[in-house]
Amino acid sequence: MARPIWTGAVSFGLVNVPVALLAAARDLGVHFHQLDKRSKARIEVRRVCSKEGKPVDYDEIARGYDTGSDCVMLGDEELAALEPSKTKTIDVEAFVDLESIDPASFDHPYFLVPVGGEGAARAYRLLADVMHRKERVAIGRFVLRTREYLVALRVRDGVLSLSTMLFEDELRSPKDLGDARVTAKDKPSKQALTNATKLVKALTTDFDPSAYEDRHRKRVEELIAKKRKGGEIAAAPEPETPAPAPDLLAALRESLAAVQARS
Amino acid sequence: MARSIWNGAVMLAGMAVPVKLFAATQPTTPRFRELHQKDGAPIEHRRVSTKTGREVPSEQIVLGYETGNGRYVVLSPDEVRAIEQPERKAIEIEAFVPAEQIDPIFYDRAYHVGAQKDGRDALAALLAALERTDLVGIGRVVLRSKEQLVALRAGDGVLNMSTMRFADELVAAEELDLPEPKRAPTQREVEMAEELLEGLHAEFDPSAYHDTYRERVDSYAKAKAKGKAPELPELEEPAEPEDLMAALQASLEAAPKRKRPSERRRGHAAAAKGSRRKARR
Repeated sequence: MARPIWTGAVSFGLVNVPVALLAAARDLGVHFHQLDKRSKARIEVRRVCSKEGKPVDYDEIARGYDTGSDCVMLGDEELAALEPSKTKTIDVEAFVDLESIDPASFDHPYFLVPVGGEGAARAYRLLADVMHRKERVAIGRFVLRTREYLVALRVRDGVLSLSTMLFEDELRSPKDLGDARVTAKDKPSKQALTNATKLVKALTTDFDPSAYEDRHRKRVEELIAKKRKGGEIAAAPEPETPAPAPDLLAALRESLAAVQARS
Repeated sequence: MARSIWNGAVMLAGMAVPVKLFAATQPTTPRFRELHQKDGAPIEHRRVSTKTGREVPSEQIVLGYETGNGRYVVLSPDEVRAIEQPERKAIEIEAFVPAEQIDPIFYDRAYHVGAQKDGRDALAALLAALERTDLVGIGRVVLRSKEQLVALRAGDGVLNMSTMRFADELVAAEELDLPEPKRAPTQREVEMAEELLEGLHAEFDPSAYHDTYRERVDSYAKAKAKGKAPELPELEEPAEPEDLMAALQASLEAAPKRKRPSERRRGHAAAAKGSRRKARR
């Protein structure tokens, strides 16, 4: 098993389910390393005490919190003890329907797996099966390192999946768009809506996530491979930026005709 | 009013809808920095050579791609720039898919799509068409020198754009070695758990949740600055349930009678306020 990011329990009612939190997303991007130009030795970022000038181990590091007037030093134990229950437990506060959650509020995905013995495994299976059957999402909160997370627990393929969520004050209102906001007042003409709907429907397929490859990743890998074979990496030409259509209805008609001709 | 982060066009089968992109999120920045526990001095991050242990000035640092065995392909600054993808100011829509087929786990960063002056009609038509059909547009756009897969969907009276994770970036459930119980939950346990679930059923109300921890840290740190830090409790490890049936029974007895979602929501908001007051004391 991959190393857990956190261990604790999910509690619903008075039932505790001991769990470990695992990452559900992996970074497959192409990464570069910093090197010393002359020796080609790897560069490492080292934490150094600004007073002593000596390297400091990660477990000797405390957090400085800026209150506005002071910088107060807080240790990891203090930070954990500020909300002891939330630091160790994801307390389910409500079971909600998935459709009632704005997809924009989902942040990072994780998995929860049971830890311990038969008791943990049974309580986990019970919670996962019942949530799956009732098609419910559990909403709870917990504290990880220096911040609190609102989380949504769902069942995917029999496993409890956890998504951290953005708090309401971290989501911007569409009102912030000002003049750029298109509202109910900008009602499209009947003809434009009919054509746009036809166009959208003509381009409809089933969603197949595996059909989309990361072309950026592939491109960088190809450029590196070329360089390894002694080639040169040259900049691609600047592409043209598309211009808007002067006549919306004519553009919709043309696009629709083009799509229908394709199929 | 927010400022747009990108101006370009949604490209739909040859038709260009001029738009502006806005960030839909505003992360609350944590106010922590690293200190040396021993002397309270700030921690500096220094870039040192793994060979000599000595600091290396930034003009002496190049980027390399590891090819295995500690060997690197070194890239010149020009090559690093050439790797960055030139930006075509276009969100190229490839297909539309039914909204319910996209698991929200694919959504990453969220943006709002606004209209440019001469694009209001076209954007209004696209937004209305997506609202009416419950379809989501899947496309690609280069943002910050990197091509992204994106989803365009109607929601909250605005066109939303989310960058998407690629399928191979998500860990599959089968990759986890999930320990299964020897004895499956009994019918009675399932019924009781279902009852517990129903009792906690509510409408999701994002305004009921605030980061109360942030407030607690703030009041504790302020008290500590004055030398008046309160005593903190010990941490306890949560226990594994020994008797699932008894825990379910006790939960149902402790749970209040089932409320309607609207009543439950008020209860939550009140509880959140209560805990904030306590934190300030």
